[in-house]
Amino acid sequence: MTAPFLVARNIGKRFGALTALANVDLEIRSGEVLALLGDNGAGKSTFIKILAGAHPPSDGELVIEGNPVSFHSPKDAAASGIATIFQELALSENLSIAENVFLGRELKRSIFGIPFLKRQEMRQRVDGLLKELDAHISDPEAPVGSLSGGQRQAVAICRALNLNARLVIMDEPTAALAVAETRKVLALTRRLAARGCAVVLISHNISEVFEVADRIVVFRRGRKVAERLAAETDHEEVVSLITGAHPDVRALEKTN
Amino acid sequence: MNAVRQLGNGVFSMNGREWSLLVACLLAIIIFSVASPHYATSGNAATVLRNSVELLLIGLGMTLLLAMGGIDVSIGIVMGLAAIAIGRVLGADGNPVLALVAGPVVGALLGCVTATVVVLGRVPAIVGTLGLLGVYRTAVFVLLGGQWLSGLPASLTNLLATTVLGVPVPALVIVAAYLAVWLALRRTPYGLHLLAIGNSEEKARLSGIPVIKIRFVTFVISGILTGVAATFYVATYRNVEMTIGSTLALDAIAAVILGGTSILGGKCSLIGTVLGVLLLRILQNGLLLIGVPSLWQPVVTGVLIIGVLGFEAISNRFPVVQLLRARA
Ligand SMILES: Nc1ncnc2c1ncn2[C@@H]1O[C@H](COP(=O)(O)OP(=O)(O)OP(=O)(O)O)[C@@H](O)[C@H]1O
Ligand SMILES: [Mg+2]
Repeated sequence: MTAPFLVARNIGKRFGALTALANVDLEIRSGEVLALLGDNGAGKSTFIKILAGAHPPSDGELVIEGNPVSFHSPKDAAASGIATIFQELALSENLSIAENVFLGRELKRSIFGIPFLKRQEMRQRVDGLLKELDAHISDPEAPVGSLSGGQRQAVAICRALNLNARLVIMDEPTAALAVAETRKVLALTRRLAARGCAVVLISHNISEVFEVADRIVVFRRGRKVAERLAAETDHEEVVSLITGAHPDVRALEKTN
Repeated sequence: MNAVRQLGNGVFSMNGREWSLLVACLLAIIIFSVASPHYATSGNAATVLRNSVELLLIGLGMTLLLAMGGIDVSIGIVMGLAAIAIGRVLGADGNPVLALVAGPVVGALLGCVTATVVVLGRVPAIVGTLGLLGVYRTAVFVLLGGQWLSGLPASLTNLLATTVLGVPVPALVIVAAYLAVWLALRRTPYGLHLLAIGNSEEKARLSGIPVIKIRFVTFVISGILTGVAATFYVATYRNVEMTIGSTLALDAIAAVILGGTSILGGKCSLIGTVLGVLLLRILQNGLLLIGVPSLWQPVVTGVLIIGVLGFEAISNRFPVVQLLRARA
Protein backbone atom coordinates (compact mmCIF):
# COMPACT_ATOMS: atom_id res chain seq x y z
CA MET A 1 0.00 0.00 0.00
CA THR A 2 1.28 3.47 -0.92
CA ALA A 3 1.92 6.20 1.65
CA PRO A 4 -1.18 8.33 2.25
CA PHE A 5 -1.49 11.69 0.48
CA LEU A 6 -3.00 13.32 3.54
CA VAL A 7 -3.08 12.37 7.19
CA ALA A 8 -5.42 14.10 9.65
CA ARG A 9 -4.35 13.65 13.27
CA ASN A 10 -6.57 14.19 16.26
CA ILE A 11 -8.63 16.89 14.54
CA GLY A 12 -11.09 18.79 16.74
CA LYS A 13 -13.33 21.76 16.02
CA ARG A 14 -15.42 23.83 18.41
CA PHE A 15 -17.88 26.57 17.50
CA GLY A 16 -18.15 28.41 20.80
CA ALA A 17 -19.57 25.91 23.26
CA LEU A 18 -20.53 23.42 20.54
CA THR A 19 -18.04 20.64 19.79
CA ALA A 20 -18.57 19.85 16.10
CA LEU A 21 -15.57 17.48 15.84
CA ALA A 22 -13.34 15.65 18.31
CA ASN A 23 -10.28 13.38 17.95
CA VAL A 24 -10.68 12.56 14.27
CA ASP A 25 -7.81 10.50 12.77
CA LEU A 26 -8.00 9.79 9.06
CA GLU A 27 -5.75 8.82 6.16
CA ILE A 28 -6.57 9.72 2.61
CA ARG A 29 -4.78 7.84 -0.21
CA SER A 30 -4.16 8.73 -3.83
CA GLY A 31 -6.20 6.76 -6.36
CA GLU A 32 -8.77 5.87 -3.74
CA VAL A 33 -12.36 6.98 -3.25
CA LEU A 34 -13.05 7.48 0.45
CA ALA A 35 -16.69 7.89 1.47
CA LEU A 36 -17.65 9.87 4.56
CA LEU A 37 -21.00 8.82 5.97
CA GLY A 38 -22.99 10.01 8.94
CA ASP A 39 -26.25 11.46 10.12
CA ASN A 40 -27.21 15.12 9.68
CA GLY A 41 -24.99 17.25 11.87
CA ALA A 42 -22.42 14.46 12.35
CA GLY A 43 -19.60 16.84 11.40
CA LYS A 44 -18.84 15.73 7.84
CA SER A 45 -19.04 19.17 6.27
CA THR A 46 -17.11 20.68 9.14
CA PHE A 47 -14.32 18.12 8.66
CA ILE A 48 -13.93 18.75 4.96
CA LYS A 49 -14.05 22.53 5.51
CA ILE A 50 -10.95 22.06 7.66
CA LEU A 51 -9.28 20.09 4.85
CA ALA A 52 -10.31 22.87 2.45
CA GLY A 53 -8.81 25.66 4.54
CA ALA A 54 -12.22 27.24 5.13
CA HIS A 55 -12.11 26.66 8.91
CA PRO A 56 -8.99 26.46 11.05
CA PRO A 57 -9.10 23.36 13.28
CA SER A 58 -9.29 23.95 17.05
CA ASP A 59 -7.04 20.91 17.68
CA GLY A 60 -4.89 18.49 15.76
CA GLU A 61 -2.81 18.72 12.62
CA LEU A 62 -2.88 17.95 8.92
CA VAL A 63 0.09 16.29 7.23
CA ILE A 64 0.44 16.23 3.46
CA GLU A 65 2.97 13.76 2.05
CA GLY A 66 4.83 13.77 5.34
CA ASN A 67 4.88 17.56 5.82
CA PRO A 68 2.70 19.26 8.42
CA VAL A 69 0.61 22.05 6.87
CA SER A 70 -1.60 24.76 8.28
CA PHE A 71 -4.14 26.44 6.04
CA HIS A 72 -5.17 30.02 6.66
CA SER A 73 -7.49 30.29 3.67
CA PRO A 74 -9.01 28.19 0.88
CA LYS A 75 -6.23 29.54 -1.31
CA ASP A 76 -3.61 27.80 0.85
CA ALA A 77 -5.43 24.48 0.54
CA ALA A 78 -5.72 24.93 -3.22
CA ALA A 79 -1.98 25.59 -3.39
CA SER A 80 -1.44 22.21 -1.69
CA GLY A 81 -3.51 20.52 -4.37
CA ILE A 82 -6.81 20.24 -2.51
CA ALA A 83 -9.96 21.17 -4.43
CA THR A 84 -13.28 21.19 -2.65
CA ILE A 85 -16.76 21.09 -4.05
CA PHE A 86 -18.82 22.42 -1.16
CA GLN A 87 -22.29 21.20 -0.30
CA GLU A 88 -23.60 24.70 -0.93
CA LEU A 89 -21.53 24.83 -4.18
CA ALA A 90 -19.38 27.93 -3.80
CA LEU A 91 -20.24 29.14 -7.30
CA SER A 92 -21.06 32.74 -8.12
CA GLU A 93 -24.51 32.62 -9.72
CA ASN A 94 -24.01 35.97 -11.47
CA LEU A 95 -20.84 34.92 -13.31
CA SER A 96 -20.42 32.73 -16.39
CA ILE A 97 -19.09 29.17 -16.42
CA ALA A 98 -15.59 30.12 -17.50
CA GLU A 99 -15.47 32.94 -14.96
CA ASN A 100 -16.49 30.53 -12.22
CA VAL A 101 -14.04 27.81 -13.22
CA PHE A 102 -11.15 30.28 -13.08
CA LEU A 103 -12.39 32.53 -10.27
CA GLY A 104 -9.53 33.45 -7.96
CA ARG A 105 -6.95 31.94 -10.36
CA GLU A 106 -7.67 33.75 -13.61
CA LEU A 107 -5.43 33.55 -16.66
CA LYS A 108 -4.12 37.02 -17.35
CA ARG A 109 -1.68 39.00 -19.43
CA SER A 110 -0.02 42.16 -18.30
CA ILE A 111 -0.38 45.33 -20.40
CA PHE A 112 1.42 48.37 -18.96
CA GLY A 113 1.58 46.49 -15.68
CA ILE A 114 -2.21 46.04 -15.52
CA PRO A 115 -3.41 42.42 -15.40
CA PHE A 116 -6.02 41.86 -18.11
CA LEU A 117 -8.10 38.68 -18.33
CA LYS A 118 -7.35 36.21 -21.10
CA ARG A 119 -11.01 35.51 -21.73
CA GLN A 120 -10.59 33.52 -24.93
CA GLU A 121 -8.03 31.14 -23.47
CA MET A 122 -10.13 30.61 -20.34
CA ARG A 123 -13.18 29.89 -22.46
CA GLN A 124 -11.27 27.37 -24.60
CA ARG A 125 -9.91 25.52 -21.56
CA VAL A 126 -13.39 25.32 -20.06
CA ASP A 127 -14.96 24.10 -23.32
CA GLY A 128 -12.35 21.32 -23.34
CA LEU A 129 -13.06 20.35 -19.73
CA LEU A 130 -16.83 20.32 -20.29
CA LYS A 131 -16.34 18.05 -23.29
CA GLU A 132 -14.16 15.75 -21.23
CA LEU A 133 -16.94 15.55 -18.64
CA ASP A 134 -19.51 14.94 -21.32
CA ALA A 135 -21.55 17.84 -19.93
CA HIS A 136 -23.87 19.52 -22.40
CA ILE A 137 -24.46 23.20 -21.82
CA SER A 138 -26.17 25.12 -24.59
CA ASP A 139 -24.94 28.59 -23.67
CA PRO A 140 -21.56 28.61 -21.90
CA GLU A 141 -21.76 32.40 -21.51
CA ALA A 142 -24.98 32.23 -19.47
CA PRO A 143 -24.74 33.04 -15.77
CA VAL A 144 -24.30 29.91 -13.65
CA GLY A 145 -27.49 30.83 -11.75
CA SER A 146 -29.51 29.84 -14.81
CA LEU A 147 -28.07 26.29 -15.00
CA SER A 148 -29.63 23.07 -13.70
CA GLY A 149 -28.34 21.35 -10.54
CA GLY A 150 -26.36 18.80 -12.53
CA GLN A 151 -24.88 21.41 -14.81
CA ARG A 152 -23.77 23.42 -11.77
CA GLN A 153 -22.18 20.30 -10.31
CA ALA A 154 -20.33 19.85 -13.60
CA VAL A 155 -19.07 23.43 -13.38
CA ALA A 156 -17.86 22.82 -9.83
CA ILE A 157 -16.09 19.64 -10.94
CA CYS A 158 -14.49 21.53 -13.85
CA ARG A 159 -13.16 23.96 -11.29
CA ALA A 160 -11.55 21.10 -9.35
CA LEU A 161 -10.13 19.49 -12.51
CA ASN A 162 -8.74 22.81 -13.67
CA LEU A 163 -6.81 23.09 -10.43
CA ASN A 164 -5.01 19.84 -11.26
CA ALA A 165 -5.99 18.81 -7.79
CA ARG A 166 -4.32 15.89 -6.00
CA LEU A 167 -7.29 15.58 -3.65
CA VAL A 168 -10.85 16.33 -4.71
CA ILE A 169 -13.47 16.61 -1.99
CA MET A 170 -17.14 16.43 -2.90
CA ASP A 171 -19.84 17.21 -0.35
CA GLU A 172 -23.10 15.50 -1.39
CA PRO A 173 -22.49 16.05 -5.10
CA THR A 174 -25.54 14.06 -6.19
CA ALA A 175 -28.03 15.25 -3.58
CA ALA A 176 -29.91 17.51 -5.99
CA LEU A 177 -29.48 15.46 -9.15
CA ALA A 178 -31.75 13.36 -11.34
CA VAL A 179 -30.82 9.76 -12.13
CA ALA A 180 -28.91 10.37 -15.37
CA GLU A 181 -26.91 13.23 -13.95
CA THR A 182 -26.13 11.22 -10.81
CA ARG A 183 -24.70 8.43 -12.97
CA LYS A 184 -22.44 10.91 -14.72
CA VAL A 185 -21.11 12.39 -11.49
CA LEU A 186 -20.43 8.91 -10.07
CA ALA A 187 -18.60 7.83 -13.22
CA LEU A 188 -16.60 11.00 -12.93
CA THR A 189 -15.68 10.23 -9.35
CA ARG A 190 -14.20 6.90 -10.46
CA ARG A 191 -12.40 8.59 -13.33
CA LEU A 192 -10.78 11.07 -10.94
CA ALA A 193 -9.49 8.21 -8.81
CA ALA A 194 -8.26 6.35 -11.89
CA ARG A 195 -6.22 9.43 -12.78
CA GLY A 196 -4.42 9.02 -9.46
CA CYS A 197 -6.42 11.62 -7.58
CA ALA A 198 -7.51 11.05 -4.01
CA VAL A 199 -11.26 11.53 -3.72
CA VAL A 200 -13.33 12.17 -0.61
CA LEU A 201 -17.05 11.78 -1.15
CA ILE A 202 -19.80 12.68 1.28
CA SER A 203 -23.17 11.12 0.62
CA HIS A 204 -26.34 10.02 2.37
CA ASN A 205 -27.06 7.50 -0.36
CA ILE A 206 -25.53 4.21 0.77
CA SER A 207 -26.02 2.23 -2.45
CA GLU A 208 -24.32 5.05 -4.29
CA VAL A 209 -21.42 4.86 -1.84
CA PHE A 210 -21.02 1.12 -2.37
CA GLU A 211 -20.92 1.72 -6.10
CA VAL A 212 -17.90 4.03 -6.07
CA ALA A 213 -16.10 3.93 -2.71
CA ASP A 214 -13.01 1.90 -1.83
CA ARG A 215 -13.18 2.77 1.83
CA ILE A 216 -16.00 3.93 4.10
CA VAL A 217 -15.66 6.09 7.20
CA VAL A 218 -18.61 6.76 9.50
CA PHE A 219 -18.98 9.92 11.62
CA ARG A 220 -21.32 10.19 14.55
CA ARG A 221 -21.79 13.25 16.77
CA GLY A 222 -18.47 14.74 15.75
CA ARG A 223 -16.45 11.50 16.14
CA LYS A 224 -15.17 8.94 13.72
CA VAL A 225 -16.86 5.74 14.89
CA ALA A 226 -15.91 3.25 12.17
CA GLU A 227 -13.72 2.65 9.16
CA ARG A 228 -14.28 -0.26 6.74
CA LEU A 229 -13.07 -1.41 3.34
CA ALA A 230 -16.12 -1.31 1.09
CA ALA A 231 -15.42 -4.88 -0.02
CA GLU A 232 -15.49 -6.11 3.58
CA THR A 233 -18.79 -4.64 4.75
CA ASP A 234 -22.36 -4.39 3.56
CA HIS A 235 -25.32 -2.06 3.42
CA GLU A 236 -26.84 -3.31 6.65
CA GLU A 237 -23.71 -2.94 8.74
CA VAL A 238 -23.14 0.58 7.47
CA VAL A 239 -26.69 1.58 8.38
CA SER A 240 -26.25 0.27 11.92
CA LEU A 241 -22.95 2.15 12.21
CA ILE A 242 -24.63 5.39 11.17
CA THR A 243 -27.62 5.00 13.48
CA GLY A 244 -25.45 3.80 16.40
CA ALA A 245 -27.20 0.45 16.68
CA HIS A 246 -23.98 -1.44 15.84
CA PRO A 247 -22.36 -3.06 18.93
CA ASP A 248 -18.97 -1.44 18.14
CA VAL A 249 -20.50 2.02 18.20
CA ARG A 250 -22.45 1.28 21.36
CA ALA A 251 -19.30 0.10 23.11
CA LEU A 252 -17.42 3.19 21.93
CA GLU A 253 -20.12 5.58 23.05
CA LYS A 254 -20.36 3.93 26.47
CA THR A 255 -16.67 4.55 27.14
CA ASN A 256 -16.89 8.23 26.15
CA MET B 1 -4.76 47.40 -32.75
CA ASN B 2 -6.52 44.05 -32.73
CA ALA B 3 -5.75 43.64 -29.05
CA VAL B 4 -7.18 47.08 -28.34
CA ARG B 5 -10.35 46.25 -30.26
CA GLN B 6 -10.71 43.00 -28.31
CA LEU B 7 -10.17 44.81 -25.03
CA GLY B 8 -12.80 47.43 -25.84
CA ASN B 9 -15.34 44.99 -27.25
CA GLY B 10 -18.80 45.88 -25.91
CA VAL B 11 -17.77 49.05 -24.09
CA PHE B 12 -20.91 50.88 -25.25
CA SER B 13 -23.28 47.97 -25.83
CA MET B 14 -26.70 48.57 -24.28
CA ASN B 15 -29.48 46.32 -23.02
CA GLY B 16 -33.25 46.93 -22.85
CA ARG B 17 -33.09 48.80 -19.56
CA GLU B 18 -30.44 51.14 -20.91
CA TRP B 19 -32.30 51.85 -24.14
CA SER B 20 -35.45 52.68 -22.16
CA LEU B 21 -33.44 55.13 -20.06
CA LEU B 22 -32.17 56.80 -23.22
CA VAL B 23 -35.73 57.03 -24.52
CA ALA B 24 -36.86 58.45 -21.15
CA CYS B 25 -34.15 61.15 -21.43
CA LEU B 26 -35.28 62.07 -24.94
CA LEU B 27 -38.96 62.08 -23.93
CA ALA B 28 -38.23 64.34 -20.96
CA ILE B 29 -36.32 66.71 -23.24
CA ILE B 30 -39.22 66.85 -25.72
CA ILE B 31 -41.82 67.43 -23.00
CA PHE B 32 -39.80 70.19 -21.31
CA SER B 33 -39.09 71.85 -24.67
CA VAL B 34 -42.81 72.09 -25.31
CA ALA B 35 -43.55 73.25 -21.75
CA SER B 36 -40.90 75.96 -21.46
CA PRO B 37 -39.49 78.35 -24.09
CA HIS B 38 -36.25 78.62 -22.12
CA TYR B 39 -35.59 74.90 -22.19
CA ALA B 40 -34.32 73.97 -25.64
CA THR B 41 -31.36 76.34 -25.79
CA SER B 42 -27.70 75.49 -26.18
CA GLY B 43 -27.04 77.43 -22.99
CA ASN B 44 -29.40 75.21 -21.03
CA ALA B 45 -27.97 72.03 -22.53
CA ALA B 46 -24.54 73.20 -21.36
CA THR B 47 -25.98 73.84 -17.89
CA VAL B 48 -27.40 70.32 -17.63
CA LEU B 49 -24.11 68.77 -18.72
CA ARG B 50 -22.15 71.04 -16.39
CA ASN B 51 -24.42 70.06 -13.49
CA SER B 52 -23.81 66.38 -14.26
CA VAL B 53 -20.01 66.40 -13.97
CA GLU B 54 -19.65 65.69 -10.24
CA LEU B 55 -22.51 63.21 -10.17
CA LEU B 56 -21.09 61.25 -13.13
CA LEU B 57 -17.73 60.81 -11.39
CA ILE B 58 -19.27 59.94 -8.02
CA GLY B 59 -21.83 57.69 -9.75
CA LEU B 60 -19.05 55.56 -11.28
CA GLY B 61 -17.64 54.91 -7.81
CA MET B 62 -21.10 54.29 -6.34
CA THR B 63 -21.75 51.75 -9.11
CA LEU B 64 -18.69 49.77 -8.01
CA LEU B 65 -19.76 50.00 -4.36
CA LEU B 66 -23.31 48.81 -4.99
CA ALA B 67 -22.09 46.05 -7.35
CA MET B 68 -19.91 44.84 -4.47
CA GLY B 69 -22.87 44.83 -2.08
CA GLY B 70 -21.60 48.03 -0.44
CA ILE B 71 -22.86 51.59 -0.33
CA ASP B 72 -21.60 54.99 0.87
CA VAL B 73 -24.22 57.46 2.07
CA SER B 74 -21.50 59.89 3.22
CA ILE B 75 -20.07 60.41 -0.26
CA GLY B 76 -21.56 63.92 -0.74
CA ILE B 77 -19.92 65.22 2.42
CA VAL B 78 -16.67 63.48 1.44
CA MET B 79 -16.77 65.67 -1.65
CA GLY B 80 -17.41 68.64 0.65
CA LEU B 81 -14.33 67.88 2.73
CA ALA B 82 -12.19 67.41 -0.37
CA ALA B 83 -13.54 70.71 -1.73
CA ILE B 84 -12.57 72.50 1.50
CA ALA B 85 -9.04 71.08 1.22
CA ILE B 86 -8.79 72.25 -2.39
CA GLY B 87 -10.18 75.66 -1.43
CA ARG B 88 -7.64 76.05 1.38
CA VAL B 89 -4.72 75.12 -0.90
CA LEU B 90 -6.01 77.46 -3.58
CA GLY B 91 -6.69 80.28 -1.13
CA ALA B 92 -3.18 80.03 0.36
CA ASP B 93 -1.16 80.81 -2.76
CA GLY B 94 -3.39 80.15 -5.76
CA ASN B 95 -1.13 77.31 -6.92
CA PRO B 96 -3.40 75.28 -9.26
CA VAL B 97 -1.09 72.25 -9.50
CA LEU B 98 -1.15 71.68 -5.76
CA ALA B 99 -4.93 72.21 -5.84
CA LEU B 100 -5.25 69.56 -8.56
CA VAL B 101 -3.49 67.02 -6.37
CA ALA B 102 -5.36 67.93 -3.17
CA GLY B 103 -8.77 66.58 -4.26
CA PRO B 104 -7.80 63.01 -5.21
CA VAL B 105 -5.39 62.73 -2.27
CA VAL B 106 -7.96 63.82 0.33
CA GLY B 107 -10.58 61.65 -1.43
CA ALA B 108 -8.27 58.63 -1.23
CA LEU B 109 -7.51 59.27 2.46
CA LEU B 110 -11.20 59.57 3.34
CA GLY B 111 -11.82 56.40 1.29
CA CYS B 112 -9.26 54.70 3.54
CA VAL B 113 -11.10 55.95 6.63
CA THR B 114 -14.43 54.62 5.32
CA ALA B 115 -12.83 51.29 4.37
CA THR B 116 -11.22 51.02 7.80
CA VAL B 117 -14.60 51.39 9.48
CA VAL B 118 -16.65 49.31 7.05
CA VAL B 119 -14.19 46.66 5.83
CA LEU B 120 -11.66 46.23 8.62
CA GLY B 121 -14.13 47.16 11.37
CA ARG B 122 -16.82 44.92 9.83
CA VAL B 123 -19.54 47.53 10.39
CA PRO B 124 -22.28 47.11 7.76
CA ALA B 125 -21.66 49.70 5.02
CA ILE B 126 -25.00 51.47 5.38
CA VAL B 127 -24.54 51.93 9.13
CA GLY B 128 -20.84 52.74 9.03
CA THR B 129 -21.15 55.40 6.36
CA LEU B 130 -24.23 56.86 8.07
CA GLY B 131 -22.10 57.27 11.20
CA LEU B 132 -19.31 58.86 9.17
CA LEU B 133 -21.88 61.18 7.55
CA GLY B 134 -22.68 62.60 10.97
CA VAL B 135 -19.00 63.02 11.84
CA TYR B 136 -18.07 64.57 8.49
CA ARG B 137 -21.00 66.99 8.51
CA THR B 138 -19.78 68.43 11.78
CA ALA B 139 -16.23 68.45 10.42
CA VAL B 140 -17.39 70.57 7.46
CA PHE B 141 -19.10 72.98 9.85
CA VAL B 142 -16.04 73.26 12.10
CA LEU B 143 -13.59 73.62 9.20
CA LEU B 144 -15.64 76.35 7.56
CA GLY B 145 -16.26 78.03 10.92
CA GLY B 146 -19.82 78.84 9.94
CA GLN B 147 -18.72 80.81 6.89
CA TRP B 148 -18.58 80.10 3.18
CA LEU B 149 -15.21 79.65 1.56
CA SER B 150 -15.65 82.19 -1.22
CA GLY B 151 -13.83 84.36 -3.75
CA LEU B 152 -11.22 81.69 -4.44
CA PRO B 153 -8.55 82.53 -7.07
CA ALA B 154 -9.41 81.73 -10.67
CA SER B 155 -6.20 79.81 -11.38
CA LEU B 156 -7.81 76.35 -11.07
CA THR B 157 -10.80 77.49 -13.10
CA ASN B 158 -8.53 78.77 -15.86
CA LEU B 159 -6.85 75.38 -15.97
CA LEU B 160 -10.02 73.26 -16.12
CA ALA B 161 -12.45 75.49 -18.02
CA THR B 162 -10.41 75.10 -21.20
CA THR B 163 -10.80 72.77 -24.13
CA VAL B 164 -8.36 70.31 -25.70
CA LEU B 165 -8.89 69.93 -29.46
CA GLY B 166 -12.31 71.51 -28.96
CA VAL B 167 -13.38 69.08 -26.21
CA PRO B 168 -13.97 70.55 -22.72
CA VAL B 169 -11.55 69.22 -20.10
CA PRO B 170 -14.34 67.87 -17.80
CA ALA B 171 -15.67 65.76 -20.69
CA LEU B 172 -12.20 64.33 -21.31
CA VAL B 173 -11.72 63.47 -17.66
CA ILE B 174 -15.14 61.81 -17.47
CA VAL B 175 -14.53 59.71 -20.57
CA ALA B 176 -11.12 58.69 -19.22
CA ALA B 177 -12.62 57.79 -15.83
CA TYR B 178 -15.43 55.84 -17.50
CA LEU B 179 -13.03 53.83 -19.65
CA ALA B 180 -10.72 53.12 -16.72
CA VAL B 181 -13.58 51.91 -14.51
CA TRP B 182 -15.13 49.91 -17.36
CA LEU B 183 -11.85 48.16 -18.15
CA ALA B 184 -11.25 47.38 -14.49
CA LEU B 185 -14.76 45.99 -14.13
CA ARG B 186 -15.05 43.96 -17.33
CA ARG B 187 -11.52 43.10 -18.31
CA THR B 188 -9.49 42.48 -15.16
CA PRO B 189 -9.66 39.93 -12.33
CA TYR B 190 -10.60 42.83 -10.02
CA GLY B 191 -13.97 43.20 -11.75
CA LEU B 192 -14.77 39.49 -11.50
CA HIS B 193 -13.81 39.46 -7.84
CA LEU B 194 -15.94 42.54 -7.14
CA LEU B 195 -19.01 40.96 -8.77
CA ALA B 196 -18.41 37.65 -6.99
CA ILE B 197 -18.26 39.46 -3.65
CA GLY B 198 -21.48 41.28 -4.51
CA ASN B 199 -23.12 37.94 -5.21
CA SER B 200 -21.93 36.34 -1.96
CA GLU B 201 -19.02 37.32 0.22
CA GLU B 202 -18.75 33.83 1.72
CA LYS B 203 -18.70 32.08 -1.65
CA ALA B 204 -16.13 34.57 -2.89
CA ARG B 205 -13.96 33.78 0.13
CA LEU B 206 -14.32 30.03 -0.46
CA SER B 207 -13.25 30.60 -4.07
CA GLY B 208 -9.96 32.04 -2.84
CA ILE B 209 -10.71 35.71 -3.55
CA PRO B 210 -8.93 38.28 -1.32
CA VAL B 211 -12.26 39.73 -0.19
CA ILE B 212 -10.92 42.28 2.31
CA LYS B 213 -8.37 43.70 -0.12
CA ILE B 214 -10.89 44.06 -2.97
CA ARG B 215 -13.47 45.74 -0.73
CA PHE B 216 -10.89 48.10 0.76
CA VAL B 217 -9.54 49.12 -2.64
CA THR B 218 -13.04 49.79 -3.96
CA PHE B 219 -13.81 52.29 -1.19
CA VAL B 220 -10.52 54.03 -1.98
CA ILE B 221 -11.33 54.16 -5.72
CA SER B 222 -14.71 55.71 -4.90
CA GLY B 223 -12.93 58.25 -2.68
CA ILE B 224 -10.49 59.21 -5.44
CA LEU B 225 -13.30 59.70 -7.98
CA THR B 226 -15.10 61.86 -5.41
CA GLY B 227 -11.93 63.92 -4.92
CA VAL B 228 -11.76 64.53 -8.68
CA ALA B 229 -15.42 65.58 -8.58
CA ALA B 230 -14.57 68.06 -5.81
CA THR B 231 -11.86 69.56 -8.00
CA PHE B 232 -14.38 70.31 -10.75
CA TYR B 233 -16.82 71.65 -8.17
CA VAL B 234 -14.32 74.18 -6.82
CA ALA B 235 -13.13 75.11 -10.31
CA THR B 236 -16.70 75.84 -11.37
CA TYR B 237 -18.12 77.71 -8.38
CA ARG B 238 -14.96 79.07 -6.76
CA ASN B 239 -16.62 78.79 -3.37
CA VAL B 240 -17.58 76.10 -0.86
CA GLU B 241 -20.86 76.54 1.01
CA MET B 242 -21.98 75.00 4.29
CA THR B 243 -24.50 72.67 2.67
CA ILE B 244 -22.11 71.32 0.02
CA GLY B 245 -22.92 67.82 -1.20
CA SER B 246 -25.93 67.33 1.05
CA THR B 247 -28.09 65.72 -1.67
CA LEU B 248 -25.28 64.11 -3.68
CA ALA B 249 -25.35 60.66 -2.06
CA LEU B 250 -29.11 60.42 -2.59
CA ASP B 251 -28.73 61.54 -6.22
CA ALA B 252 -25.86 59.12 -6.85
CA ILE B 253 -27.67 56.12 -5.37
CA ALA B 254 -30.82 57.02 -7.33
CA ALA B 255 -28.95 57.38 -10.62
CA VAL B 256 -27.06 54.10 -10.15
CA ILE B 257 -30.20 52.13 -9.26
CA LEU B 258 -32.07 53.77 -12.11
CA GLY B 259 -29.27 52.56 -14.40
CA GLY B 260 -29.91 48.92 -13.57
CA THR B 261 -27.29 48.24 -10.90
CA SER B 262 -28.66 45.90 -8.25
CA ILE B 263 -29.02 47.36 -4.75
CA LEU B 264 -28.27 43.82 -3.54
CA GLY B 265 -24.97 43.64 -5.41
CA GLY B 266 -23.55 41.29 -8.03
CA LYS B 267 -24.89 43.08 -11.05
CA CYS B 268 -24.18 46.52 -12.46
CA SER B 269 -24.27 48.75 -15.52
CA LEU B 270 -21.87 51.65 -16.04
CA ILE B 271 -23.61 52.97 -19.14
CA GLY B 272 -26.84 52.71 -17.13
CA THR B 273 -25.30 54.90 -14.43
CA VAL B 274 -24.34 57.54 -17.00
CA LEU B 275 -27.87 57.55 -18.43
CA GLY B 276 -29.35 57.55 -14.92
CA VAL B 277 -27.32 60.64 -14.01
CA LEU B 278 -28.36 62.42 -17.19
CA LEU B 279 -32.05 61.56 -16.69
CA LEU B 280 -31.94 62.79 -13.11
CA ARG B 281 -30.24 66.07 -14.04
CA ILE B 282 -32.57 66.59 -17.04
CA LEU B 283 -35.61 66.14 -14.80
CA GLN B 284 -34.26 68.41 -12.06
CA ASN B 285 -33.34 71.16 -14.54
CA GLY B 286 -36.56 70.87 -16.53
CA LEU B 287 -38.78 70.97 -13.45
CA LEU B 288 -36.96 74.09 -12.29
CA LEU B 289 -37.51 75.78 -15.65
CA ILE B 290 -41.23 75.04 -15.70
CA GLY B 291 -41.48 76.67 -12.28
CA VAL B 292 -41.20 73.86 -9.71
CA PRO B 293 -39.16 75.22 -6.76
CA SER B 294 -35.75 73.56 -6.26
CA LEU B 295 -36.95 72.53 -2.80
CA TRP B 296 -38.80 69.72 -4.57
CA GLN B 297 -35.74 68.20 -6.22
CA PRO B 298 -34.96 65.65 -3.47
CA VAL B 299 -38.61 64.61 -3.61
CA VAL B 300 -38.24 63.77 -7.29
CA THR B 301 -35.09 61.77 -6.55
CA GLY B 302 -36.71 59.95 -3.64
CA VAL B 303 -39.78 59.07 -5.65
CA LEU B 304 -37.56 57.75 -8.46
CA ILE B 305 -35.67 55.45 -6.04
CA ILE B 306 -38.85 54.14 -4.47
CA GLY B 307 -40.50 53.79 -7.87
CA VAL B 308 -37.66 51.79 -9.42
CA LEU B 309 -37.12 49.51 -6.42
CA GLY B 310 -40.87 49.07 -6.00
CA PHE B 311 -41.30 48.18 -9.63
CA GLU B 312 -38.45 45.67 -9.45
CA ALA B 313 -39.89 44.06 -6.34
CA ILE B 314 -43.32 43.79 -7.94
CA SER B 315 -42.04 42.49 -11.25
CA ASN B 316 -40.07 39.81 -9.41
CA ARG B 317 -43.22 38.75 -7.59
CA PHE B 318 -45.77 38.83 -10.37
CA PRO B 319 -45.12 36.37 -13.18
CA VAL B 320 -47.13 38.46 -15.66
CA VAL B 321 -44.63 41.27 -15.53
CA GLN B 322 -41.76 38.80 -15.83
CA LEU B 323 -43.39 37.30 -18.87
CA LEU B 324 -43.77 40.72 -20.45
CA ARG B 325 -40.15 41.42 -19.67
CA ALA B 326 -39.01 38.13 -21.14
CA ARG B 327 -40.90 38.95 -24.32
CA ALA B 328 -39.40 42.43 -24.58
N1 LIG C 1 -20.14 27.83 11.13
C1 LIG C 1 -20.72 27.16 12.15
N2 LIG C 1 -20.99 27.79 13.31
C2 LIG C 1 -21.56 27.10 14.34
N3 LIG C 1 -21.91 25.81 14.28
C3 LIG C 1 -21.67 25.13 13.15
C4 LIG C 1 -21.06 25.77 12.02
N4 LIG C 1 -20.94 24.86 11.03
C5 LIG C 1 -21.45 23.71 11.52
N5 LIG C 1 -21.89 23.87 12.78
C6 LIG C 1 -22.46 22.82 13.63
O1 LIG C 1 -21.57 21.73 13.66
C7 LIG C 1 -22.27 20.50 13.65
C8 LIG C 1 -21.81 19.64 12.48
O2 LIG C 1 -22.32 20.23 11.27
P1 LIG C 1 -21.91 19.73 9.81
O3 LIG C 1 -22.42 20.73 8.85
O4 LIG C 1 -20.48 19.42 9.77
O5 LIG C 1 -22.76 18.40 9.68
P2 LIG C 1 -22.89 17.40 8.45
O6 LIG C 1 -22.38 16.08 8.91
O7 LIG C 1 -22.26 17.98 7.25
O8 LIG C 1 -24.46 17.32 8.27
P3 LIG C 1 -25.37 17.23 6.92
O9 LIG C 1 -25.44 15.78 6.57
O10 LIG C 1 -26.71 17.71 7.40
O11 LIG C 1 -24.77 18.08 5.89
C9 LIG C 1 -23.76 20.86 13.59
O12 LIG C 1 -24.28 20.80 14.89
C10 LIG C 1 -23.77 22.27 13.08
O13 LIG C 1 -24.89 22.97 13.57
MG1 LIG D 1 -23.00 18.68 5.43
